[in-house]
Amino acid sequence: MQSQADLMPPSSASPSDPLLRVEGLHVSFRHPVDPPTEALRGIDLTIERGEMVGLVGESGAGKTTLARAIMGLVPQPGRIDAGTISFRGQVMADLGDDALRAIRGRNLAMVIPNPRSELNPVLTVGEQIGNVVRHHLGLGRSAARAAALDMLKAVSIPDPARRLDAYPHELSGGMAQRVVIAIALACSPAFVISDDATSGLDVTVQAQILDLLRTLIRAKDSSALFITRDIAITAHFCDRIVVLYAGEVVEVATVDTFFDRPTHPYSLMLLAAFSHSADLRRRWTVPPDETLPGAGEGCVFAPRCVRRQPRCTSEHPALRRLGDARAVRCHFPVGI
Amino acid sequence: MALARYILRRLAFVLPQLVGILMVSFFLVKLIPGDPAVLMLGPNATPDAIDGLRRALGLDQSLIRQFAVYIGHVFHGDLGTSWQSTRPVVSDLIERFPATLELVTLGLSLALLIGIPLGIAAARAGRGPLRKIGEAYGLLAGAIPDFWLALVLIYVFYSTLHVAPAPLGRLDIALVAPPFVTGSLILDSLLAGDLQALGSALAHLVLPVATLGFINAGPILKMTQSTVGRILASDFIRYAEMCGLPRRVVMRQAIRAALPSIVTIVSVLYGFLIGGAVLVEIVFSWGGAGQYAVQGVLNADINPVLGFVVFSAIFSLIVYLCVDLAYFLLDPRTRG
Amino acid sequence: MSGPSGTIVSAGGLSLPPRAGRRSRWRSRGSLFLLVLHGRPSFALGYVIVTAVMTCAILAPWIAPYDPVTANPDVYLSPPGFSHWLGTDNTGMDILSRILFAPRTDLTIAVLGTALSAMVGIPLGAIVGYYEGRSLARRTFSVLVMRAADVLQAFPVFVFAIALVAVFGQSIISVVVAIAFVNIPIYLRLMRSQVLSIRGMRYVDAAFVAGSSDFAILRRHILPNAIAAALAQLSVNIGWSVLLTAGLSFVGAGVVAPTPEWGSMIATGYQNVTTGQWWPSVFPGVALGLTVFGFALIGNSIEVMADPAQLRLVGRAGKGG
Repeated sequence: MQSQADLMPPSSASPSDPLLRVEGLHVSFRHPVDPPTEALRGIDLTIERGEMVGLVGESGAGKTTLARAIMGLVPQPGRIDAGTISFRGQVMADLGDDALRAIRGRNLAMVIPNPRSELNPVLTVGEQIGNVVRHHLGLGRSAARAAALDMLKAVSIPDPARRLDAYPHELSGGMAQRVVIAIALACSPAFVISDDATSGLDVTVQAQILDLLRTLIRAKDSSALFITRDIAITAHFCDRIVVLYAGEVVEVATVDTFFDRPTHPYSLMLLAAFSHSADLRRRWTVPPDETLPGAGEGCVFAPRCVRRQPRCTSEHPALRRLGDARAVRCHFPVGI
Repeated sequence: MALARYILRRLAFVLPQLVGILMVSFFLVKLIPGDPAVLMLGPNATPDAIDGLRRALGLDQSLIRQFAVYIGHVFHGDLGTSWQSTRPVVSDLIERFPATLELVTLGLSLALLIGIPLGIAAARAGRGPLRKIGEAYGLLAGAIPDFWLALVLIYVFYSTLHVAPAPLGRLDIALVAPPFVTGSLILDSLLAGDLQALGSALAHLVLPVATLGFINAGPILKMTQSTVGRILASDFIRYAEMCGLPRRVVMRQAIRAALPSIVTIVSVLYGFLIGGAVLVEIVFSWGGAGQYAVQGVLNADINPVLGFVVFSAIFSLIVYLCVDLAYFLLDPRTRG
Repeated sequence: MSGPSGTIVSAGGLSLPPRAGRRSRWRSRGSLFLLVLHGRPSFALGYVIVTAVMTCAILAPWIAPYDPVTANPDVYLSPPGFSHWLGTDNTGMDILSRILFAPRTDLTIAVLGTALSAMVGIPLGAIVGYYEGRSLARRTFSVLVMRAADVLQAFPVFVFAIALVAVFGQSIISVVVAIAFVNIPIYLRLMRSQVLSIRGMRYVDAAFVAGSSDFAILRRHILPNAIAAALAQLSVNIGWSVLLTAGLSFVGAGVVAPTPEWGSMIATGYQNVTTGQWWPSVFPGVALGLTVFGFALIGNSIEVMADPAQLRLVGRAGKGG
């Protein structure tokens, strides 16, 4: 095993650099006949050390694609057309395969949803957690096994000593989810991405797992990106919220301001959808207008927007800063 | 114990199949035109002599009774007599089966040595030239008739270059075969310490083994390539990548996961080749079991054919049992 | 079967089978075909080879320089040259002419044999797959058919084929029957697994709930979506059957000399190879190998066209990115 120092290029990071900076990221998916589908169109995002950011948006908004792009693993047949991702001041695209592998799982870890098929079916839980610490931290077999046991205890799996030798098919969904969290946090990464980590679980287990995840991340003083469709989760677990719609960031705000005074009509629609007031939902939700052209010309949200003006279908709005840590992509933000 | 139960279940499955195979082949061969009694006695035999022989052979009985008698004999290890060699089929086959087995085993080993590394390399190569080579090889090896390739090899290495021995059996005519122990000339000559016979046996094996190896590497290559390729694109390998495991570790996991499929194709090929190598046997006058059976069919000599079917069925049974054992060791999911 | 009807309603858009209108489907199949050929030029080679072989078979009487079955003892075993481009065999028959005539026999046998096995195996496999796990009688039927297929496939293929030819007497029809027999289990298994996987799809459940009959579901929803794999197999199998025909003839259990046939031509030249006259065996083998290769390529192209995942790879290769 090579030592980590050899694999990591000298870091030019200064303390003022954010932990993660995504600038102008464009990702598209190729298709043999049709033109490529643009999954991400110019994403800008920064995450500071120790910060927890929620990334919300409906399915297909590009949440998972963004997460995978940050990991340096854009799903096939997608590719990065433009933009940079830098982690601790280091541009990821400049790193070689070995250096990327040394970061992935070590400093930049991901918790995936429904992990039954993601765990290797022929390796025990202990071997899979152990593999990660062995290769990233250079531990020996027995030390790795001890570390795996510690992690299983940390994620509060019942009877951890026995689970160490269990195979993935012997685990319940909740246990598998805990194992994946154990793998992600085993090397105390500086940054954790949780991709809808609890979507396949019962509601009661969901809360437990999320609590656990947050406690562990805070304990290791890491940063995190919480990807979710459930906006309520972000309210409990995050410092800041980023709203993604059709591959664009449409609103960024701290949790307090966001829930207090959301500004983008889509954010309002999301919040209304989770509220108990049918009246509120009716006010902010319209059936999409199919006659309008999609993206390209105007605002991507225009077809579904209750506050649509002629300008919205002709001019693409830019992401405007509204004071500190707050930005919105709308010509006519609410309440401004 | 789980393993014993596993094997018993397999046996319960295979025995009725064995009887089915015997039944089909028995009635099939019975349908072959040509009266063995007439063939044995020649065209000048008197009707009385023919009748007498028919009675002696049990040919005057009903087919069902003949079959029942046959099955009874088979389970006592009596496969009847070949009228061509006028010897018990069992001793004929015991002499010839090892010849086929030696040829097929070595041929298949060569095929594995070619097919698996090429298949893995082709799967790893993505869309590179190696993948094209792999695909071309798979198609070519599947298209070339083995008996023709054998003739071409004979032409090049025997008729033209004079480096290979004449395609007339397993040993130089001038040499005395080592005492029969295992039936494999390599093993027997080693046991007898007869290096001259060993050298001659190896020299005679080169061309037929090369023929079988080259041709059968095709399906092994295809299977390896497609399985490893599929696994490299699978969820758990993607997850291993996400965890930043080194490339060689990921590759090892992929190959490990591909092993059951490779074991399956090898076992199928092994069973197939016992009868499928007959054309190569004929070209090289190998005197193996397949050639023996083909001559039996062509000369209305029923017992060698049935005997061969029994032998190869039992052989397949042993191979499949070994495969089940391998599965049991390779995949924890079968151990439940 | 499906759960309460609620599941089906919630499946919403998924309940529609993936079939567009007939015309647009065929138009898009056409462009797909060109796309695949563009992305994988080697596939075009397959179509070229097979077309060429078929053309030879049809035009043989006009393009062959000699009569394929007339022996001219004066020129036996003459090497390739001006009067006999590919030489003559040990009875003095012109090898080129015989090679050109041979696909008439080989292709006819292979195509008929494969078609016969597909005609039996595909419907049987579809029914077995559809019946599996249904009522006891249907389940018994499918189990019986599958066990019979197990028994057939447990036979050493070649010995089985020879035995069949021996039973039915040595003729072209016997070879066709033998080839059909050994191929039936392949289609049976293929269709069964295809149908089993498609049967589990939501749109099939939806059709069942909507009250379509078993037969209508099989014909309208399952077969059209399962047939691509069988078609790919069909092409590969024709090539494989050509090989088997040649093999049978090679041991003397198939087509008999002097009928022009690649396998028996190779067998005729067998003795000469050891004494250095390679041409009577080598040329028919090349023709045989090329033909099988062509059919295998076509089979691959059908497989790629039917598989969206592979199509994606091809599409990208075609665009050079």
